[in-house]
Amino acid sequence: MDGVELQILWSNLIGIVSEQARALQRIAFSPIVREAGDLANGLFDEKARMVAQAVTGTPGHINSLAAAAKNLLGEIDIDSLKPGDVLITNDPWMSAGHFFDITVLSPIFRGERIIAYAGSTIHHTDIGGYGIGSGARDIHEEGLWIPVMKLYEAGKPNETLFKMIKRNVRTPDALLGDLGAQVSSGMIASERLNALCDRYGLDDISTLSEEIISRSETAMREAIRKLPGGTYHGMSRFDVPGGQEIELKTAVTVDAEAGEITIDFAGSSGPSASGINVVPAYTHAYATFAVRSTLNPDLPNNAGSLAPIKLALPEECIVNARYPSPVNARHVVGMYVPFPVLKALAEVAPDRVVAEGSGAVWTVQIQGRDANGRPFTSSMFNYSGGMGARATKPGLSAICYPTGVAAVPVEVLEASYPIAFTCKELERGTGGTGRQPGGDGQRIGYRMRTKSPWLLNTIPSRLKTAPEGLKGGGDGAPGRFEINGKAVLDTRKMEMQPGDEVFMVTPGGGGFGS
Amino acid sequence: MTRFSLAIDIGGTFTDAVLLASDGRSFVDKTLTTHGDLLEGFFRGVDLVCGRAGVGPKDIDDVVVHATTVVTNALIERKGPPVGLVLTKGFRDILYIREEHRYDMYDPQIEFAEPLIPAERTFTLDERIFADGTVETPVDAEEVRQIIAQCRKDGIVSVAVCLLNAYRNGENEEVVRRLFAEEAPEIYVSVSSEIAPQMREYLRASTVAINAYTVPITRPYLTALIKELDARGFTQQPLIMLSNGGVIGAERAGRFPVRMIESGPAAGALVACYFSRLFGIPDLISFDMGGTTAKACLIQGHEPLVTGTFEVDRRYRFKPGSGMPITVPSIDMIEIGAGGGSIASIDSLGLLKTGPESAGSIPGPVSYGRGGEDPCVTDADVVLGIIDPDRFLGGDMKLDADGARAALCALGERLGLSAEKAAWGVFEVVCEQMASATRTHATDRGIDYRGLPLLAFGGAGPVHACMVAELVDGEKIIYPPLASVLSAFGTLVTPAQIDLVKSLVCLLEALDWQAVDATLQAMVEEASEALREAGIREEDLSFAFSVDMRYLGQQSELRIDLPGDPRTVRDASAIRDIFEKEYEAQYGLKLDDIAIEVVNWRVTGSGLKPERKTAAASTGTRAEAVPTRKVWLRGEPHDVPIYQRRELTMEDRIAGPAIIEERETTIFILEGWTLAVHETGSLVADKKKDRE
Repeated sequence: MDGVELQILWSNLIGIVSEQARALQRIAFSPIVREAGDLANGLFDEKARMVAQAVTGTPGHINSLAAAAKNLLGEIDIDSLKPGDVLITNDPWMSAGHFFDITVLSPIFRGERIIAYAGSTIHHTDIGGYGIGSGARDIHEEGLWIPVMKLYEAGKPNETLFKMIKRNVRTPDALLGDLGAQVSSGMIASERLNALCDRYGLDDISTLSEEIISRSETAMREAIRKLPGGTYHGMSRFDVPGGQEIELKTAVTVDAEAGEITIDFAGSSGPSASGINVVPAYTHAYATFAVRSTLNPDLPNNAGSLAPIKLALPEECIVNARYPSPVNARHVVGMYVPFPVLKALAEVAPDRVVAEGSGAVWTVQIQGRDANGRPFTSSMFNYSGGMGARATKPGLSAICYPTGVAAVPVEVLEASYPIAFTCKELERGTGGTGRQPGGDGQRIGYRMRTKSPWLLNTIPSRLKTAPEGLKGGGDGAPGRFEINGKAVLDTRKMEMQPGDEVFMVTPGGGGFGS
Repeated sequence: MTRFSLAIDIGGTFTDAVLLASDGRSFVDKTLTTHGDLLEGFFRGVDLVCGRAGVGPKDIDDVVVHATTVVTNALIERKGPPVGLVLTKGFRDILYIREEHRYDMYDPQIEFAEPLIPAERTFTLDERIFADGTVETPVDAEEVRQIIAQCRKDGIVSVAVCLLNAYRNGENEEVVRRLFAEEAPEIYVSVSSEIAPQMREYLRASTVAINAYTVPITRPYLTALIKELDARGFTQQPLIMLSNGGVIGAERAGRFPVRMIESGPAAGALVACYFSRLFGIPDLISFDMGGTTAKACLIQGHEPLVTGTFEVDRRYRFKPGSGMPITVPSIDMIEIGAGGGSIASIDSLGLLKTGPESAGSIPGPVSYGRGGEDPCVTDADVVLGIIDPDRFLGGDMKLDADGARAALCALGERLGLSAEKAAWGVFEVVCEQMASATRTHATDRGIDYRGLPLLAFGGAGPVHACMVAELVDGEKIIYPPLASVLSAFGTLVTPAQIDLVKSLVCLLEALDWQAVDATLQAMVEEASEALREAGIREEDLSFAFSVDMRYLGQQSELRIDLPGDPRTVRDASAIRDIFEKEYEAQYGLKLDDIAIEVVNWRVTGSGLKPERKTAAASTGTRAEAVPTRKVWLRGEPHDVPIYQRRELTMEDRIAGPAIIEERETTIFILEGWTLAVHETGSLVADKKKDRE
């Protein structure tokens, strides 16, 4: 395949997954999918290797999805798959690390034969159990566990499964609507891929996928080969809800000959009793993201570009969660995974890395009864702190790195739930000083327009330990979390009174250079 | 008695002028856009076409229509006078915080455009309205007076007001506007509840900020235009082309410059509608390819698709998300970074890419001989033999074919291909890029693009349209006359039109028809007033109603056109039926148990479609012997016949591959296509069906 033909077919594949993602985003119910873009779409070849992904979403979802197809297909007899079958799971170890994320995978048939799979993962509004937050004591308290099953069999819905799901979640309409959107986006991908094959006279995509994956892998290895070989170390320290301090340590080994990078997390904190443990796939997702984003962000993400990056995880480790550890709020640790990697890479690619920032977005979920007494459960919504500075540019304010999710607009939240915001502004001066200053965090205040008590689930982080500056840059400011003017460190599922006011300041990003 | 209408379209490079006589004669010309003073080019264009026709200002007794890039220029140049912003207390950084969205997940180096109105000129007011419209805190007049005083001190000439939840209740914004009018009538105030009364504070604030920022530039421009036309003896008030595909009086347009941003491109889409009616083809794809970008627009039922939001001034590598969002009705177009000047390159994976980097007109493609060194799409067209280097712009501009070949040769070497094969690769890749963008755009909107005819125009459109048609499974291409000034012509076939939208969030089953009625009535009155200003007679006014709806809990709406006037036909269940049908058509889903929510009401007011026609078919004669030229198709040389468009006759049937040359562009049809002259003067290419 020459560089012209491949370019044309490749851009077509990326077009298909983007179309799939856009359809999904447009019809989704959950504000976090629509407004924040918390979703992932991928196209897999017949060997379940990710060959294209939509350029939306979050690294956690995208890169976890990359591994999910193989995991799902490992659980079933592939030969038994029929047109119209749709697979589902929310198994944290199989897909994106907690029950909220449901992955749906549809085989794409061309005639009798499976030529590809279309997959999507989205964050659903509710999955029963504990709800948003890290307070559950084991994984079973966290909600409904859907093993790998057929959601549809030959186009017919699995009524038993639908009934089970419907009865076990707080917002069945939203969940079923969003599942429908996932199934529908898979059908779109199937149609489009077949149309592509018709247009270019292809029987399948195996040659194309081989070419894409091998070229991407070669390009990734080339990028790694440009770095000086050796082992580099990085460490990042931050605090999580409850006040516990977590330490992530990495030894990043660049094998300049093979063009491979191995990231070893030995020495990182052990498992946590609260739901912030990270499954290996999610750790892998954010660790590989740090490398990809630093070395060659323009290279499309697929099985090939991910292949040369390997992980070594110690047995007892917060980023290597084991059953039955709770994992619900895994992102609060997972989104910090890139920083020790970036700090190690700062030794060999100082002009391309990002200083530590607020890391994880702060997530909020509210539950209660509105003024008319009707119960509501909000979707999760989130806020960013400041991003760390870049070597030649300041950090962006109210923007998170590594995640890419947007905030849900104040007006959308106020129209959807009985919440009233008192402020949402930048907290100027919270970014670290330096040759390039870190981005500023923001101050956000809200209360409820209800007459009854309500539940608040928030997951702030870095309330004590500030993001560090890089290469002599100043640290960002740590965050603040207050209820009625009083600082609160443990923010796990709190019962609130009408009239209570929440005030939070997200952390600022670290500066770069002195 | 012959009547004359005049259209001037000021674009980034050229200012196009069209003078149309009611007997069908047309006079067209192009002149370079004068960026220092746009009106200079405007009147140069006017003089050129009037001179050709031998008519004076007084003879132009039909409309004078103007499409202009003045607003876009103001936003890109950012040289406007100081403008202020008034926001709700506690929310002063709406323009800085944006959507908290890192629009490119992988690239840590992304940037955003600086807010149009900086923090130093942002003021906050202790006021509050809730999402249900209740006023929690009314405006304190004294506080506003202090802001006014500060504005005066800072020399602020225009102010944007965007208060929280004002889309639901504009009361507090009105108070601010009134106080400004009383205390500082010289400061122009744009309020969000009028400019863009829709939910989502950043979108609304960005839109109203853009309006406030461009008012002090656009109003004097339009005032000067009105004055100068008057001084020259023109009797008609100019009409201005808006992004929504309608025209409106210049005075009103000056108050809402944010609605003029896509003025020129919208006119292009309108032309496509005109030809869609002329040919009796309700659905087609308008395809306009120029020097730096290509634009495609889907025409459905003789009308262009309309969108609620778009983005201007993308600052970082043309990436979506790096610009400023605008939420006003606009013709729904895709702009693709693919034009004649797009640069071809090879990426780190060894893949051939075209654009988004463009050589523009300076230095331009290598073949322009103005110092350009990177191979461009036009260079590939020259190497392939599609464009004759000696007859570009009718021979006025000689192209450097050797230079183009050398550049493509160098590119080919890196791909292991000959110059001709590399050139064909560029041709194919750029066409595929446009085709895939069009496919995504169409499917995104639930439209099956397969088989839709293309209307090809713009300097590079006719060169590439046939290949693009192949790639979107098209079977017909229309090449209209006047292709190079077609957008200007488009403004003359455009009705006066105004689109208004208002959020009124409510469950469909619990619709408060009285509130709906009052809202729609107010919108109809506003639209009527605007149309009367544009010279539309009362009896020619017509209104169409549509509504944005979603299933309860969704965040994205579907627009439903209502068959009747909801002020008289109050039928919620009929509305539900239409919504469900449309939703199922688009997404293959019907959700019986879920309530439906109405989000926005829309009113489109318009005047009659003008009945202005173009010249009849050309009845050329041509020599028997058709010359041929060597053209490289898929890497192989072919002797391809070269026709001159003006020499074609109604009897001609030209089988592809063939080239048809005209002064400003070249039509290239592939094998398997047949071209004929249509009675309207357009050329039409049809793809042979397999069985024929």
